[in-house]
Amino acid sequence: MIRLEEVTKRYGETLAVDRLSLEVGEGEVCVLIGPSGCGKTTTLRMINRLIEPTSGRIMVGDRDITSVTPEELRRGLGYAIQSVGLFPHLTVAENIVTVPKLLGWEASRMQARVGELLSLVGLDATSYRGKYPRELSGGEAQRVGVARALAADPPVLLMDEPFGAVDPLNRERLQGEFARIQKELHKTVVFVTHDVDEAIRLADRIALMRDGRLQQYDTPENLLDHPASKFVHDFMGADRALKRLGRVRVDAVMRSEVPRISDGSDAVAAAQRAACTAERFSYLVDQDGRLEGWIDCRLLDRGGSAESAITHVDWRATTVRPDTSLKEALSHMLELGFRSIAVTDETGRLLGDVALAGIETTLTEGDAYSAGGPAEGGAQ
Amino acid sequence: MGVQSASVDRQRPRRRTDRVAATGAILALAGCVALPLYALRANRIVNGTPLSLGAGGPAAWMLLALAIAAATASFSLAGKLRARVELACAVGMMGALLWALGFAAAHLAPDVTSPARVSIGAGAWVAVAGAAVVWFAAVHARPGRAWRVGALVALVVVVVAAAMWGGLGRLSIVLEYAVQGAAFWSAVWTHIALAGTSLGFAVAIGVPLGVASSRIPWVRTAVLSIVGVMQTVPSLALLGLLVVPLAALGLPGIGPLPAIIALTVYALLPIVRNTYVGLTQVDPSVVDAGRGMGMSRWQLLTRVEAPLAMPLLLEGVRAAAVMIIGIAAVVAFIGNGTLGVLVILGWGGQVDDLTLLGAVPMVLIAVAADVGLRAAGRLVTSPGIRMEVS
Repeated sequence: MIRLEEVTKRYGETLAVDRLSLEVGEGEVCVLIGPSGCGKTTTLRMINRLIEPTSGRIMVGDRDITSVTPEELRRGLGYAIQSVGLFPHLTVAENIVTVPKLLGWEASRMQARVGELLSLVGLDATSYRGKYPRELSGGEAQRVGVARALAADPPVLLMDEPFGAVDPLNRERLQGEFARIQKELHKTVVFVTHDVDEAIRLADRIALMRDGRLQQYDTPENLLDHPASKFVHDFMGADRALKRLGRVRVDAVMRSEVPRISDGSDAVAAAQRAACTAERFSYLVDQDGRLEGWIDCRLLDRGGSAESAITHVDWRATTVRPDTSLKEALSHMLELGFRSIAVTDETGRLLGDVALAGIETTLTEGDAYSAGGPAEGGAQ
Repeated sequence: MGVQSASVDRQRPRRRTDRVAATGAILALAGCVALPLYALRANRIVNGTPLSLGAGGPAAWMLLALAIAAATASFSLAGKLRARVELACAVGMMGALLWALGFAAAHLAPDVTSPARVSIGAGAWVAVAGAAVVWFAAVHARPGRAWRVGALVALVVVVVAAAMWGGLGRLSIVLEYAVQGAAFWSAVWTHIALAGTSLGFAVAIGVPLGVASSRIPWVRTAVLSIVGVMQTVPSLALLGLLVVPLAALGLPGIGPLPAIIALTVYALLPIVRNTYVGLTQVDPSVVDAGRGMGMSRWQLLTRVEAPLAMPLLLEGVRAAAVMIIGIAAVVAFIGNGTLGVLVILGWGGQVDDLTLLGAVPMVLIAVAADVGLRAAGRLVTSPGIRMEVS
């Protein structure tokens, strides 16, 4: 879908990008990463001709990008940037339809599109439509920025650190939503970031750059397990095992057959019923299946009272969602001191759980894979 | 006034003396008590003898009472209520002053045939200034839109009523107006026409220069320095300097042409500078996003940069307008029949009332331009970027 052929950008004596060749397949997410000044943003901006390369050729689809005017090219490539750059004098709706308006869409079609996009990025269309950018939080503004980039349904999306300016909690959530949207829309995405975890989580392939040169272009797994050089190895960091967990979603290792007991408003009776099950812990849910807590059956066996065996919890603080990364789930478990953690949907309905043992298995599989690979520069 | 003081007001604890309004009220009080509100003169030219406050009849005492009330309110009340009381007092003071002047004129110089007349004294000007300060302070304390508009309407009603029934017709400045009549209105229109035409030229020239300055560095250096230097030339000197190049072109060195050139030159700096600043202060990421989404340079300018620069641009136009309304008085020296002519004639003949007849409308025109352009600015500014000014 996107092909860079021997692309070079020179500013006076310095080479910002040096004979870079790269191919991004249709529907793939390619993350450009590297230390600052490595040329990743320059590379991205050459794709939509905000920067003209000194030499080399860039193809989008099957045409050379210089075969059309820059404006026409850009209207076909979604563009989202770190500082968002929403137009402060226009409403959310007017911001979103920027490109459709340039393309001359009809008003009714644009109206409908705004509604679609706002719900796609998880914002309530009726209340957000007429707001002005200054009324939005950082995370909301980023969502609108992504909606605006998607407005004319471009096949290609160029994103320059789109989640770089939001707090870590919101970034985590935005990444999850981006992954969900991408799964739905299958855009070809070129994504610049300096955050290794973000790259590992979102990328199909990572292009690691340094001083304008491509160091390695491969899947996140291969970058972690088979780094091509010491630089790649060091850049990806020492905690590769953990980083690998960042690629796996909770639902991939989730156990959905968990002992659950509906309390029917009588928790004590429920606890007595729980004593019959084989597992140590049973989850306590209400009639709607929403998690209320759990029952420790071992305490019941030792003759403890039913009340003492029950732990009531707020699901919001003690559970993870199915699309959470294992890395994050593990971090929650360590924080809370649990050996397993419940998985619920957005409304608190119990879906299953993830145990430390399950995460360990994932790690071991990864290790087995890496053991078959080439030497890793003797780092460990 | 403006953004800064508004935000400072908000940070202050609520129950603090409204110092601005207090100053205004005390000023008005001083105008009533320490200086004569009106003076009686035997004829048009001689200096007047000051009259006591009581010569204005009941309205004069009401003016005093309202000034005291405004001062009391500024010390003892707080919040919206205070703003409203102050606003009401300010309007009341202006009205009462007019009625007091009319009363004094009608009672002390009632005879149409006699040359004796009552003129406005120094105290009246001080009192009006004080009332205006109270007004502005009250408006900044957010009395609510209805009260703001209501106060303006009430003022107009009071002024019209005073003019019709308040005996203002016997006031010396009004008598002077009756004498000047047609000359006065011709001066007003010449004044407005010269200033308006020049402002139009300045916008037509200044905005493109500002846009060019924001795009091309060498243009910016050239334009901003040239316009800046021209601004420093005193207005009378500029009129003198223009004679030479105009003569070289075979054009007259006096009359409307050099006047319009001079006024346009003075109006250029604020317009060019504010256009330039307005465009360059647009967040670069907004411009980058616009370009990255495929806007052409022209679309970017008209759809994004211009609307974002508009509040500052209009602020420049407003500043230019107020400034050249003032300078338009000076071009009377080169044969333009602006309000400046009345002022100059008044000085020459030592007829204070004639001077005032030129000066007061000039102030009113400047204030009207200021208020009108501010309102226009609010109209064309998107709510998304509107500054929080009362």
